[in-house]
Amino acid sequence: MKVRIIALLAVSVLLLAACAPAGSSQTAAPAAESAAAPAADTIKIGGGFALTGDESVLDLPAANGAKLAAKEINAAGGALGKPIDFIVHDSQYKMDVTAQTAKQFVEEDKVIGLIGYTDTDSVLAAGPTIQKAGIPFLTAGGTSPKIPAQVGDMMFLAAFGDNVQAAAGAEYGVNNFGKSAYLLYDKGVEYTTLLGDYFKTAFVDLGGTIVLEDSYDDDTTDFSAQIAKVKALPEQPSFYYVAAMPYNVGTVVKQFRDAGLTGPIIGGDGYDDPSWIAAAGEAANNVFFSTHALNDATAGSDAYKKFFAAYSTEYGHAPENAFAALGYDSVYLFVDALERAGSTDAQAIKKALEETKGFPGITGAITFTPDQHVPQKGVTIIALKDGKYTLGAEIVPTKIPAP
Amino acid sequence: MSPGLRRVIASLGIVAVLAVLLYWLSVYGSSFWQGLAINLGMFLILVVSLNLFNGFTGVFSLGHIGFMALGAYVAAILTLPIASKQAYLPNLPGWLAGLSLDGMVGPFPVGFLFATVIAASLVALLAFGVGLVLMRLSGHYVAVATLGFLIIVRVTLFNADTFTRGSRTFSNITAYTDLWWVYGWAVLAIYVVWRLKFSAFGRAMAAQREDRWAAQSVGIATMPPRLLAFVVSAFFTAVAGALYAHFITSMSPNVFYFDLTFRVITMLVLGGLGSVSGSIVGTVIIVGLAEALRRIEDVTLFYGMSNIIIAVILLFLIIFRRQGLLGQRELNLAWLFGKSTSPSNKENKQP
Repeated sequence: MKVRIIALLAVSVLLLAACAPAGSSQTAAPAAESAAAPAADTIKIGGGFALTGDESVLDLPAANGAKLAAKEINAAGGALGKPIDFIVHDSQYKMDVTAQTAKQFVEEDKVIGLIGYTDTDSVLAAGPTIQKAGIPFLTAGGTSPKIPAQVGDMMFLAAFGDNVQAAAGAEYGVNNFGKSAYLLYDKGVEYTTLLGDYFKTAFVDLGGTIVLEDSYDDDTTDFSAQIAKVKALPEQPSFYYVAAMPYNVGTVVKQFRDAGLTGPIIGGDGYDDPSWIAAAGEAANNVFFSTHALNDATAGSDAYKKFFAAYSTEYGHAPENAFAALGYDSVYLFVDALERAGSTDAQAIKKALEETKGFPGITGAITFTPDQHVPQKGVTIIALKDGKYTLGAEIVPTKIPAP
Repeated sequence: MSPGLRRVIASLGIVAVLAVLLYWLSVYGSSFWQGLAINLGMFLILVVSLNLFNGFTGVFSLGHIGFMALGAYVAAILTLPIASKQAYLPNLPGWLAGLSLDGMVGPFPVGFLFATVIAASLVALLAFGVGLVLMRLSGHYVAVATLGFLIIVRVTLFNADTFTRGSRTFSNITAYTDLWWVYGWAVLAIYVVWRLKFSAFGRAMAAQREDRWAAQSVGIATMPPRLLAFVVSAFFTAVAGALYAHFITSMSPNVFYFDLTFRVITMLVLGGLGSVSGSIVGTVIIVGLAEALRRIEDVTLFYGMSNIIIAVILLFLIIFRRQGLLGQRELNLAWLFGKSTSPSNKENKQP
């Protein structure tokens, strides 16, 4: 009996992990094959992504974006005159598998560089192997600015650091709403903890005051305790800064609005998930967040519109979020450095990456220097209006907290 | 030759073959295959030690991964080089901030050994305290209570951010773990569990598992054998945690949760609850199958298939062979020498 119940539990956990992305991975399948035309002489680039598991919400779009870029580059003649073989392994969001696939990339596939992952855990699990092998590692969506210091000199970020987006959020708040803020963050996840921390530093630096700071656990569904404290404030702050994960954003925002707190809410790129916005309805008005690009078919830049259309044709649906664009940019960024390096030598590519200046990505211009492997990019602030993304501002923050 | 001597020789023979294989792998194998073997060894320790509790005592723990998490964090804090401590754990209390067990004697990282033993001992002590309370429960209640323990550990790790960096990834751990460490500990774990199974304690465990009232009526108490199993299995689970931390070199509390719990339980149930050799067989099959299926996924692009297939296998197993591949029996070492029976193997025929 007992064994049976527990085994059933195990089965359901396994199936849950498998099911999460199943729907979308099937649509992704045909594209990958055409991208990778394994010829005798190809340029092998690794793509490490958690295509299954919790992180696949972000990794799957990033992987699809990257594959699309590789396909486009191959259609235009490849890199250094050779086609790109973009090899993808699913890390399953298990750290032991992530470390193993990193070794597979290095030893079996013999890739000249690795692109991938959207979370710090996975980057740090794969990082030591890649660093030891001495090949460049570009993370598509990892945003902790501490990553390069933790991994080593072959590590690059394609996205801005959390310190930059927090500073942009703080600046946007000060410029548009005022100098008092309430700060709420999810203390169960590195990303939100860092984001909250950086926001506080940047906001205080700009002359703002945090009237109340609060946190919650990652699996919280009832925010009434936090809300009661906000309502007890003698005066409501100019805005609320809520650093939340995609799966919590909808609940927090809805409960704030239901409790009559209608002031502006600002957040980070965890908000960049259309599903909660549809579910929240009117509650999502007066919500602003920093992210990598305005993911919209009509409102974005011309380059983004082109990407949006190409992605929609390739996969039969619009890009899920800005991580698709980050994956897309990562491959182009890497290939740009590869072309400038003129060879597949790891040190030459690394040097070329470090010399990248104003690379015109669809998520913003990317610049690296030898001691700055986290790009100084502009941050897009999205303002939500009636369930639609509108451009709030493009900010290059002036006061950025140290990583 | 007496049967006892023959068994000793057979066991030593197996260890010698293992040593040769390991040597060959560590010299000629790529780090990918070494890594796979290390993963296999870590799961072996986890499954065998979990089997000591879940299989032998008949009550189910869902909280062992909590012990693994604690073992990993304690050992990692102990071995973290002082420079990294200042960078990543700046608020550690003074005595811990200045302590780093990264000493080497020649090529041998003796500090890592101490850190592992200290971490595992502390965890075993904790398991003793927890066990004193939880082992009074019976049946499903133990599973639920240990699950609660796992959740408590996770929340504690999140909130003790002075020591664990909280939700932030704990990184830059020195990569001490290699094949020899893992298989050294694995052989020790298997040996200890094997000896325990056929000791007086092991028979007491089995007796109270089969019929608690009957066992008590002949003077076999429930508590001591259960508690012993709990503490020893917690010790080795913590060792696996320390090995994990020094292999992957980074971790966060999310790693040690349901996903890992059920991966270990799948291996345990497949091999057979209560069989040491079954645990080994189950672990080898699941680790091998997961790797093979992962490779097939890469070719077919049907990602997630490995989880589905393993889940379906588990379903069929529960329907058609609930006791697992080996049940409570052991693979017989004596067949190596052409003898069909071994005295230690008769009493475990289970309906």
